[in-house]
Amino acid sequence: MGSNLPYAADAESPLRPAELQVLRAQYEKEGDYVGVQTKFNYAWGLIKSSERSEQQLGVQLLSDIFKTTPERRRECLYYLALGNYKLGNYAEARRYNELLLEKEPGNLQSQSLRTLIDDKVSREGMMGLAIAGGVAVAAGVLGGFMMRSARANR
Amino acid sequence: MAGANHSRNASQIRSRANDSDNDSVLGAVIDTRQIEAFGRKVTATASHLMSDAASTPHYSGALTSIQRSMRRPHMQRSVLSFTQQAPTELVRSKISTSEIAHRAVAFISDEQLHNIPETEHTYSLFQGFQASLPDIDENEHRKGHRRRGQKLLGAGPDIDEDGPPNLVKLKKRRNQTNHRLEMMGIRKNLCSSEIREIDNKIANLNSMRRIVLDRLAGLEAEEVEVGQEILQLDNQIEDMTEEEAVRALAESTTTLEPGQMTPPATDDAMDASFMSESIYEKLPSVKSPKSPKNKKRPSYVKRKSMPVLHEHLEPGSNIRTLPAHNDVVTAIDFDAPFGTMVTASLDDTVRVWDLNLGRCMGFLEGHTASVRCLQVEDNIVATGSQDATIRLWDISRAKYEPFEHNVHTEDDGLGFGNEGEDEIPPPHPDAMEDCHFMTLEAHVAEVTAIHLRGDTLVSGSADKTLRQWDMVKGRCVQTLDVLWAAAQASASHSLGTTGDTDWKPTTRGADANYDFVGALQVFDAALACGTADGMVRLWDLRSGQVHRSLVGHTGAVTCLQFDDVHLVTGSADRSIRIWDLRTGTIADAFAYDNPITSMMFDTRHIVAAAGEDIVKVYDKTDGRHWDLGAGAKLTVEDNMEGKTASTVGKVRLKDGFLVEGRRSGEIGCWTC
Repeated sequence: MGSNLPYAADAESPLRPAELQVLRAQYEKEGDYVGVQTKFNYAWGLIKSSERSEQQLGVQLLSDIFKTTPERRRECLYYLALGNYKLGNYAEARRYNELLLEKEPGNLQSQSLRTLIDDKVSREGMMGLAIAGGVAVAAGVLGGFMMRSARANR
Repeated sequence: MAGANHSRNASQIRSRANDSDNDSVLGAVIDTRQIEAFGRKVTATASHLMSDAASTPHYSGALTSIQRSMRRPHMQRSVLSFTQQAPTELVRSKISTSEIAHRAVAFISDEQLHNIPETEHTYSLFQGFQASLPDIDENEHRKGHRRRGQKLLGAGPDIDEDGPPNLVKLKKRRNQTNHRLEMMGIRKNLCSSEIREIDNKIANLNSMRRIVLDRLAGLEAEEVEVGQEILQLDNQIEDMTEEEAVRALAESTTTLEPGQMTPPATDDAMDASFMSESIYEKLPSVKSPKSPKNKKRPSYVKRKSMPVLHEHLEPGSNIRTLPAHNDVVTAIDFDAPFGTMVTASLDDTVRVWDLNLGRCMGFLEGHTASVRCLQVEDNIVATGSQDATIRLWDISRAKYEPFEHNVHTEDDGLGFGNEGEDEIPPPHPDAMEDCHFMTLEAHVAEVTAIHLRGDTLVSGSADKTLRQWDMVKGRCVQTLDVLWAAAQASASHSLGTTGDTDWKPTTRGADANYDFVGALQVFDAALACGTADGMVRLWDLRSGQVHRSLVGHTGAVTCLQFDDVHLVTGSADRSIRIWDLRTGTIADAFAYDNPITSMMFDTRHIVAAAGEDIVKVYDKTDGRHWDLGAGAKLTVEDNMEGKTASTVGKVRLKDGFLVEGRRSGEIGCWTC
């Protein structure tokens, strides 16, 4: 199966609206008895989109597939990981991806996705820490001045 | 190579990334070193600025602790990587409500995560995606391709002239075509697996439906039991209160008691004088204290709940077949689906059936000849017989206990329902002895048609009259002479004063093989009757006049039914005609192969018995004709073996529940 998975870069190229519309129309036409493939097509189309709300819907559809179709679970793991990665839910993404790697250690797409996730997390982490540190220092400085002025008044 | 290492151990990578100077993993738009340096600078500046404040030990302590942690990049990085969550993600997942909702929907439990079966598929979801996506511009592509193909054919010689570039092109095209072939293979797989998927779903839904249907059946059975229990309790309560009343009466007027109470108790075969002064609804309460037998057995009362099971069964499925009689079934009626059915046969018995259990409840005995027609209305049964009398029965007075299982041994060669199951007891011989409450005698020939609605009963007889009866008083209140009406009509026709144009009574005599009055139905003051001369006459009971005659049938009218818009008639001329009651014209008509002997309709179907081993069903909504019954289930092999089903003579249909009586004496219950 490994060769049949798209790389993360594939998820970054949105479909044309017309293409997505075809997938959506098919999905809606099948109504309550929608087939797994149709559902997946629509979900994957959504995840490729650049709209956050569409990506979320895509992930929801995928988790639906995961819940209802056990025989497709393993495949779904990767897409769930990818979708969550795009959404920025790195914890979830890592949870799914690690599980998949456990099952398929040689899965190249999954490996590259792990690198990407790790990368993003630590980068954002650093920036976050820097911001947090900056805020703390600023507060310290402000507090210091206030203390000082208070003492001067005394 | 790095990738291979990654796969081996995740934590190894993390430590490697932290320990070594190789920051490739961290990507580094902002280098971590720079951040550390920045942090150090900030703290240094702050402490410099705060130099005066250094005397406050609390503040300086806090500052140094920050500084200390800032000086330990390894720790700080590992903390970050172990949380596995970026701060923005943390903030988002804790604050935005839509995010939280999304997470709740998309969340997959650990249990599900760990239950991942190993299954192989002919194609992956992604392949499926790839295969379905090109559909969008496939059409243009294919068109273009075809055009090119044509051009190619037309420019055949050109290829030979400049070979190499065309060869490349052709190879390219071959590859494209090969790719398309592959895609088609995948799509075919896709379709077939989708079909399998749908099949599975259908099977699943079917089994679910079966389960729910079973549940419904169980509930209905339970409902009946509970209903019986309620009845039993009701009876007990009634008996108790009556006993109380009797005792009180006895205490107060001891001397008067015998004189007062004897008249209603004279005998079971009640004479006419008694009947005329009693009102039948009041009879049970008067009688019951006098017949102690009644107290022991719960009397049968119409069930309260409405069965719906048959509506969900497939149309045309057999609910039950009862070997009810030894001879031709002459009349059937039932009050409601799974209610009470009464059947009459040439074997001179009239039987009452509990359709829910398929058990015979008892016999209605009293007629001195075969019963030709009957109707069940609530608890009242009216039977018209060849002995020229009409008898009325109240089934609620029957002694019938549906769930008793003491087996009587009475062998008359007839079953009393589901044989082979746990032996169902035959009915108590005198179970129905209290039911008869009225006899209507006035006709001078056999009664062939009867209809009862509310307090009005109308009957048609071979003496060529129709009679209207008052059910309360038990007297004939009006006699309508069909021949006289016919003569009137023809006389006035000759004078040219009526609208009945085409009717010539002399041209067509009554068919002697059929009953003179084949069918009738009353509604309030409106009476419709169909006669052997093929006429359908609409009477006004207030004036006693025929106000319209429907001409069209060329044979005796054998059955008839009307609702607020249409009148449907079946005739010996093999046709069923649907008349518009407002205009008096034919709205629709269709014919079968043999004379129609019986017909009835409900909201959806018109069913008819037409001298075959099947019931003819006409679906009013989609205009479809189909066959139902034992004959419709016979296969060619069965016919070869000589298995046949008996001819259906009578049909009754109510709310999609159909009952048919055959010439062999069998009764079949079907959904329709």
